[in-house]
Amino acid sequence: MEDRPAGIPPEAELASTGGFNKYVGPLYRLPDGEDGALKRFVFAVAGKHMNSAGTVHGGMLMGFADTAMSRTSRLVSGAKSCNTVSLNCDFVGPGKLGDTIEARVRVTRQTRTLVFVSAELVSDGRTLLVATGLWRIAGEA
Amino acid sequence: MSAFPLPGFRETALIDPFEVFVGPVYEQGEPPARRFALLIDERHVNMRGVIHGGMLMSFADAALGQAVWDATDRAPSVTLNMQSQFLKPARAGEIIQVTPELIRRTRSFVFMRGDFKVDGETIFAATSVWKLLGQS
Repeated sequence: MEDRPAGIPPEAELASTGGFNKYVGPLYRLPDGEDGALKRFVFAVAGKHMNSAGTVHGGMLMGFADTAMSRTSRLVSGAKSCNTVSLNCDFVGPGKLGDTIEARVRVTRQTRTLVFVSAELVSDGRTLLVATGLWRIAGEA
Repeated sequence: MSAFPLPGFRETALIDPFEVFVGPVYEQGEPPARRFALLIDERHVNMRGVIHGGMLMSFADAALGQAVWDATDRAPSVTLNMQSQFLKPARAGEIIQVTPELIRRTRSFVFMRGDFKVDGETIFAATSVWKLLGQS
């Protein structure tokens, strides 16, 4: 059992097992909402995630969104891997040290080769970031 | 830390803890025409050995943010929006370089873009909108 940061609920599953995600993580997956249509991920803000203004760095927020949306593309397509083609992020509000930030991810449309995904990062009822992006289904399951 | 393998580059002074954590970033040239470089290492890649999109966007936010500083005499600013296009995978050991381009500066916004290249080939492109703090 890894050292679970404060604010991460017991039902959360570790989603960062290697590479960049493990380095900036831990990142977790939460149980689906809306009968499976809503995929949920979460991480707890630590000192390493911050910028010099005392808010969460935009790179961390975009990286977390990318991980949550990529994972969602894999989950809905059943593919072994999905590659990010494009990602648009609006920084709506600042994240703070100690926040628990949840990614709420939905699939807008899925074709044979593409997944259209949207996500909202929220903390304590506040929206921090909204994102839309396009994923290419790369590997068969 | 091993030396940066391109001559003429020096380490960029990063102040955000997250950028220090995922860096270092290197640079050459003088403001406002600095070129930035990242040597991809094992911390930056995903399970397939390809640089993580989050790392590319973090490098982009850092490099374009440095260019916003250059364009504004280091005025405080925040990223409002970033659009990213992922064109080609890049792998550990490769060096990504970018020379940010100022698209336009207004009283309250800065519009920046960058083509991120490995061996001269663009592998990632980003456009970002920055809000200058204290300006309405």
